[in-house]
Amino acid sequence: MRRLLPLLLAALALGSCARGDDRTHIYLQRFFGECGAEYGGSTDVAKAEGECGIMTALINRFNAENPDLSVDVNVVAWPGYPQLTAQMAARDPPDLVTMHEGVISDYAAKGLLEPVDAYLAQAGISIARFTEASRQGVTIGGRAYGLPWDTHGGLFHVNTALFAKAGLMKGGKPVLPNSAEELIAQARQFQQRTGKPYLLQSNVGDPAYAARNQYSYMMAQGAALFPDARHIRLDTAEGRRVGAFFRRINAERLGTLNMDTPAAIAAFVNGEGGIYPTGTWMIGSFQKEAETPGRPLYASYAVFPYPRLWGRPLEFVSGHAWVVPARQRSPRQRAAIARFFRFMAAHNFDWARTGHIPAFQAVLESAAFRALPHRADIAPLAAIGRPLPTNVQRQSAIEGIVGEEMAAASTGQKPVAAALASAERRVNELLSQVN
Amino acid sequence: MNGARDWRGLLFVAPFMLLYALILVFPLFRGLWLSLNRVDLFGDGRFVGAANYVRLANDPIFSTALLNTFKVTLMIVPVLTVLALLLALALNNAGRGAALLRGIFFSSAVLSVTIVTLIWRFVLAPDAGLLGEAWKAAGWQPLAFLSDPHLVLPALAITTIWWSLGLPMLLFLAGLQQIPHDMYEAAALDNASRWTTFRRITVPALRRTIVLVVMLQTAAQLQLFGQSQLLTAGGPSGASRTAVLFLFETAFGRWELGYASAAAEMLFLLILAVTLAQYWATGRGREASGAR
Repeated sequence: MRRLLPLLLAALALGSCARGDDRTHIYLQRFFGECGAEYGGSTDVAKAEGECGIMTALINRFNAENPDLSVDVNVVAWPGYPQLTAQMAARDPPDLVTMHEGVISDYAAKGLLEPVDAYLAQAGISIARFTEASRQGVTIGGRAYGLPWDTHGGLFHVNTALFAKAGLMKGGKPVLPNSAEELIAQARQFQQRTGKPYLLQSNVGDPAYAARNQYSYMMAQGAALFPDARHIRLDTAEGRRVGAFFRRINAERLGTLNMDTPAAIAAFVNGEGGIYPTGTWMIGSFQKEAETPGRPLYASYAVFPYPRLWGRPLEFVSGHAWVVPARQRSPRQRAAIARFFRFMAAHNFDWARTGHIPAFQAVLESAAFRALPHRADIAPLAAIGRPLPTNVQRQSAIEGIVGEEMAAASTGQKPVAAALASAERRVNELLSQVN
Repeated sequence: MNGARDWRGLLFVAPFMLLYALILVFPLFRGLWLSLNRVDLFGDGRFVGAANYVRLANDPIFSTALLNTFKVTLMIVPVLTVLALLLALALNNAGRGAALLRGIFFSSAVLSVTIVTLIWRFVLAPDAGLLGEAWKAAGWQPLAFLSDPHLVLPALAITTIWWSLGLPMLLFLAGLQQIPHDMYEAAALDNASRWTTFRRITVPALRRTIVLVVMLQTAAQLQLFGQSQLLTAGGPSGASRTAVLFLFETAFGRWELGYASAAAEMLFLLILAVTLAQYWATGRGREASGAR
């Protein structure tokens, strides 16, 4: 037994040895959810559905097509920035991270992200191939800080059956307003004829909704939201006009007041209102409802960018990008990142199936993209979409403050002027503290 | 006791003391130092003295958050204490039914805050929630628990009371089982009513447990965070933003670590003051009752 035991231990130790892994590893951290149970082994990108499914299948496919590389994935809860910040503070960040374009400036200003121009050049990707919105979203001081992956922004998701009942369809398309007064008139008509709210609004726990409205319609009127990187200007004639308009919508009960995002989604899917203003990310889910016989939204769904109400048709947008945190990397790892960029750029159309607007002009103009449901209608978002200036830091926190104050104004909890002044004061104080 | 024995004794407590110093005392002083600096999450900063505290004193968002915290604590602690005591009194017997009910009432305590807030969102949401549907069925307008500034704190309080009932109930049950049964027998022989027995025997015997429950729950609810973040995101217009949500947003959303640390120090001092005040008040009460 005494002789047998060392032999057993030696056999166990030898048996535990695996072949040396000579693949180059890159560590990728992303949000968009975890769906390993459904797509864990899938490399068939065309069959994958939804953000998580398409993303998982794409990374599986990249690993399968690049046997000398291994992309090790860490999925974080949306948006994952507290974890990323902690990893960066510990000087152990991932190699590739999904990041909202509005957040890039926070990390880039501290030298925590590498400019990616060299990776793009190695991958054969010219910045000129990006759409205008995407190019603006990742460029700071003339340098690209990420591979843009999409543009996303607010859309008017429309229940066409209810619009028909309200007499607001023309040539098979919903009649959308071209001015603030027109919107009020159409909303009243809709409400009178259908007995349902014109706007389904997620006013509860969703500051992004109110912020998106305020930014978009102030930009459309030509207001400079950020005269410089340290100041916001909201308490202006343009700002008051937008605030007063949404307050009027709620005062006349033309929109819902007490819904959070899940409630607003459920209400739209169940045909409880005319328009649900939310993002590009919902197109896939709503289209599925529209294709399912028996569902309230069956054959009754259309979607468009926010209509022009004042000034020019402009809309606040953001986007997702792949960024590269700064850290020591081997030449093989750097080459692997460039290959990943090339792969992802080549599959930008697959990602556009999520509902987001592609980051590459050629994909946006492609027949395949236009053939996807509603994409021809929402494609203008890439041209009329404007991100906030990329030299402004803390955009996520700013959106939270502006959204909180403007939601209070639109629901009547605060006078519009007081909300605008408070938002302006709070944001300017926040920006004054940025080191 | 000689000197050598003293040192050996210290060796026994040294591992705990070291760990305690490392994970509690050091962060406490580190936080205090950070609060005197304008510093972000990456350590870039400079000494600003009491400037962060002056800013806090003039910050209406922080004062609203503090006020909300005190209000919601006042809504939770008395109700929670009374409910837990009543449940413990009702379930303080050896029957199988009582054991089952004890398990059921404790079960909410094992849920994570995410699940708890998800459940209560389904109950409280005015458009499709359980209460909203019940209100509509009765022909009333549903109450906007999650968007009416006057109702969000009660909504947080209800959620928290449901979630936190288990532990105080167990503490009271443990306390009740410590009361000698012969005292109740003596009261029965004296023909004391149930109310008199409760007032003259049960409550005095449970005094320490009541103090413990009130102090523990006060300290816990002054740090209420997850319910506010997940159920209402601090809204509407900051009406349900608590002090800990404020410092989370400040530290991790705005990267103002120094300012958030100053808020944390203020909250620490307030919790300490409230807890000491309760301890002092209950101690005085005991002395007074002892003097009688």
